[in-house]
Amino acid sequence: MKNKLFKLMAFLVMASVLLVACGGGETAGGGDAPAGEKAKVVIFVGFGTGTDPDQVVAQEALAQRFNESHDDIEMEFLIVPVEEATERYLAMVAGNNAPQLVGLHGISTIAKFLDQWEDVTPYIEKDGYDMSDFYGPSTTLNKYPELNAGLPLGLYPSFIFYNKDAFDAAGLAYPTHDYADTSWNIEAMREMAMKMTLDANDLTPNDEGFDPATIKQWGYADTWTDGRGQFTMFGAPTKGRPTSDDYKTAQYNSPEWVFGAEWLHNGIHVDHFIPDAAGQGAIDAASGDPFGGGHVAIWYSHTWYMSEGLNELPFKYDIAPLFYNQNGERISRIHADLFTMPKTAKNKDAAWEVMKWLVAPEQIVDVCKIYGCLPARQSSQDAYLAYMQERFPGLDFDVIFTAIDYLDDPNHESWVPEWGKVNDALNNATSTIYTEAELDVPGLMNTTNDEVQKILDEYWATQ
Amino acid sequence: MNLFRRLFGGIKANELFFKGITTLILAAGSVIIMIPLAFMISTSLKDPAQLRSDANTLIPRKPQTVQINGESFNLYSVTVDGETRTMAMIKKAPGGMALFADSTTPDQTVELKLNEQTPLYRLDIHWENYPEALGSMPFFTYLGNTMLVTFIGMFGMLFSSSLVAYGFSRFRARWLNVLFLILLATVMLPSQVRLIPLYIFFQKLGWVNTLLPLIVPQFFANAYDVFLLRQFFMTIPLELDDAAKIDGANPLQILLYIILPQARPALVSVSIFHFLYAWNDFYEPLIFLHTKENWTLAVGLQTFDALYTINTHLIMAISVLMIIPPILLFFFAQKIFTQGVVFSGVKG
Amino acid sequence: MFKPGKISLARREELAGYAFIIPWVIGFLVFTIGPMLSSLYFSFTDYNIVDPPTWVGLKNYARIFAGIPEYFQTGNPAVLGDPIFWKSLQVTIYFASLALPLNLLFSFILAIFLNQKVPGVNVWRTIFFLPSIIAGVAVTLLWLRILNPRMGVLNPFLQNVLGIDNPPGWLQDPNWAVPALVLMSLWGVGGSMIVYLAGLQGIPTDLYDAAKVDGANAWQRFWNVTFPMMTPVLFYNLVLGMIGTFQYFTEVYVATSGTGGPQRSTLFYNLYLYQNAFRYFDMGYASTMAWILFIIVLVLTALIFRSSDAWVYYEGQLRGKS
Repeated sequence: MKNKLFKLMAFLVMASVLLVACGGGETAGGGDAPAGEKAKVVIFVGFGTGTDPDQVVAQEALAQRFNESHDDIEMEFLIVPVEEATERYLAMVAGNNAPQLVGLHGISTIAKFLDQWEDVTPYIEKDGYDMSDFYGPSTTLNKYPELNAGLPLGLYPSFIFYNKDAFDAAGLAYPTHDYADTSWNIEAMREMAMKMTLDANDLTPNDEGFDPATIKQWGYADTWTDGRGQFTMFGAPTKGRPTSDDYKTAQYNSPEWVFGAEWLHNGIHVDHFIPDAAGQGAIDAASGDPFGGGHVAIWYSHTWYMSEGLNELPFKYDIAPLFYNQNGERISRIHADLFTMPKTAKNKDAAWEVMKWLVAPEQIVDVCKIYGCLPARQSSQDAYLAYMQERFPGLDFDVIFTAIDYLDDPNHESWVPEWGKVNDALNNATSTIYTEAELDVPGLMNTTNDEVQKILDEYWATQ
Repeated sequence: MNLFRRLFGGIKANELFFKGITTLILAAGSVIIMIPLAFMISTSLKDPAQLRSDANTLIPRKPQTVQINGESFNLYSVTVDGETRTMAMIKKAPGGMALFADSTTPDQTVELKLNEQTPLYRLDIHWENYPEALGSMPFFTYLGNTMLVTFIGMFGMLFSSSLVAYGFSRFRARWLNVLFLILLATVMLPSQVRLIPLYIFFQKLGWVNTLLPLIVPQFFANAYDVFLLRQFFMTIPLELDDAAKIDGANPLQILLYIILPQARPALVSVSIFHFLYAWNDFYEPLIFLHTKENWTLAVGLQTFDALYTINTHLIMAISVLMIIPPILLFFFAQKIFTQGVVFSGVKG
Repeated sequence: MFKPGKISLARREELAGYAFIIPWVIGFLVFTIGPMLSSLYFSFTDYNIVDPPTWVGLKNYARIFAGIPEYFQTGNPAVLGDPIFWKSLQVTIYFASLALPLNLLFSFILAIFLNQKVPGVNVWRTIFFLPSIIAGVAVTLLWLRILNPRMGVLNPFLQNVLGIDNPPGWLQDPNWAVPALVLMSLWGVGGSMIVYLAGLQGIPTDLYDAAKVDGANAWQRFWNVTFPMMTPVLFYNLVLGMIGTFQYFTEVYVATSGTGGPQRSTLFYNLYLYQNAFRYFDMGYASTMAWILFIIVLVLTALIFRSSDAWVYYEGQLRGKS
């Protein structure tokens, strides 16, 4: 008897819980704000930069600034660490609770979730928003035929960081800062890098008795990017994109990229001036910073590296243009970041207001300071330059600004069908290049190209 | 022999030998186990510059430097003309050489082979990493949340898992075996695919951004703890149960007064496991919690592992702090642990 | 229904049993079965999480099992519907076959050592338990550094102290990456050691006394008293260890930054599942993978359960239950 009651109670409890679950779910985030209440704008941070503790604090201050000057909108930054960002974001979207804005993130994330972003073109037209102050690639890199993903916020051009002490030690002249000097090319860089690769006994690969297993300093590295990124500089017709313009044909094994793969493989396993996988793992795991740890003499990276990497370095350094490639071209990668609006979010008008505020001339420099990007506005360049000169005294900033002209378009992060799958296939190939000393590089490029072609075919078959 | 026995009292020689060997083996094992831990502590006391260039030394140290004309130069102990002196390294030169000078006469340089000289270091322990790590997050709020989730969850887990394990181990019923297999089956499905539906469910309940999704399910037993307790309950002889039944005890009384006291080591085990799980779990909180005020410690720790900057020294500092409560708990739990069953409780 | 005298003892026992497991039943029905059935449903759909799922029937399953006969004919993985799926299964089985026996063995031996009454045993136990307390992200960062073949700590030790000439490349070498992960998992053996300790503590000492009286030596005591009494705990660790190694994910994810490299040598089943769900936005396929794993693990567990009658001894086992 007692047990039957038990069971009955259990059933009732269960039923009531289920009722609560199914009946009229009030989703968190509600509908559009009722009159008199502030519209809530949540900015989801986690796909790119912005999750560092310093940035978290700075973003909170920014949000406070906005909230104090706006009566009708309240904004906040939702910080999610990188590893969980995708799941959290997707869960929120699936639960009808999408954040109002997502950012600060770049071309890759936008490409990954391409069909989820709201096209801001109607908003721009409705407001008659003046886009003339935004310049160059900031307005084109995130604009796809059917989608303008958001108002441009910042650019991250790329260039060489070089360790002056390492150059001095090797008796080498510093690389030129002149973008027009074509003698600063891939061969010249290779020779320099080999002289600056040192094993435990300070021998270089050119010396007798050089021991690759004990290398403590490498000449050159370009590791904080992915497979597409590393090949972009070699000048394929489609620049940073491994497919044809109609996205139907895989072009991963273009002659330029095969050259690049062989050049990289050679540099890693024969000439030894590029760190192999073990070397990369060493310097990444030890300090997370190949250049700052003094492990790499010539380091190719973007401006986002500067705010954390160039802190109190124990050696002298400067920046220089990327070298010319094997065809006498220079293609210097770029990233372009912005905030975007998920299509299914509520309060989109409020989100649009916040988006405008973030890129407004009054705020854009401060926002860019948080994330380490160059403001996308012409009119803000001087203010930002002044800030950078104060922060990084002695660097040649012409290098940074001129690098923008050599951007990669199509970008190495731009959209391709099945972005995740294609990129993983390419990264697998790159991983092979970095780990296998004996390798048929053209063969690898061909099999990988077949893999990518298969992915593209499967995609187009369901369209 | 007699002397030996008199010296060591009643301890048998081979027992002593056996204990000695055991202690030796444990000590050797401990050293191996502790090496990563030593690195952890050492990393937590270094600053990022040291981590960049000097990550593998256990003792946090920095090169000794001297100021010449407003710039810092590293000091080395050099051998020049058979004499050992302390000189500053001014510049590196090709061929593995470097220019050294005395700090008082910086213009008089001598060129020597760099790796034949000994760099000089000084101890450089950065205790301030700890306050910095603590200060960069609302540590005590997170700690409070963590304790709330952990202890309420532990209570709920003990309560529900004991009941359920008892049901699975001490009763004959047609469907219990099948149900037990279903219980186990629930952990066989990878949780990644349950995440989205679970999130939507909690959202409909309005529990997202509260600590409820982390606490409430604990009150309904989970497979791991039930399984363990069930195994333990099944090692307890039935005779005491039967005796109690004859005395008129109902099943609940048998559980409370006969089974649970004998299952103390198992109860301590599941409590420890649950504690550790809740203490270190960051995945679920990150999915279900919204505002930072609700975060747990483990979540706060995750934020140091950002995309372009890994604040290893801060991660290690917080991690070191985070192992202190569990260690204390474990140390003291051992008392309950070892008050184990001395006799099987059966006479005749 | 409410007449006490009419309910037989056996029936009453049945009802009591069911009553006690009610908390779990409720939890199961409320929190667990919904998501589980949803994921089963998703496995028959194309579901990119953002848009509602569209039914595709057995397409996901067909993709996994496609090309198997051709593969056995030609030996070329490219003919398989999803060669990466099979690679991930292979990696997982490889890891499980190393990690599971080693973990079981080491934790058992460790527990026996730590069960001795040596001075300071509490301290030793705490030390060995420490690794499983430390937060996962810290553990992995530590091991990434220790295992690094070039600037780590383990290889110099192997070279200089043990005289091994070409120490492995561990996590950077496709052939050694899984053993490296096994090594990392063995460091945390103190966690499962506790369960054995609890089991050892629960063995009534008068059993040992009786055995000594009967003239049994230390080994005979171990084999005839300790080991049989430990089989329930061993069973527990075996089943959950098997489930755990097949679902190994977090440590791999952090150690390889989610890539499963180098060259997919650490692309565990759950990692590939995760990639499909949250990187390729193919939750349908990921759910399919989840349920296939479910079946595999279920079958293995059922086999272990079947075998348990032969080797697991419960002092307090009810007769007539099986």
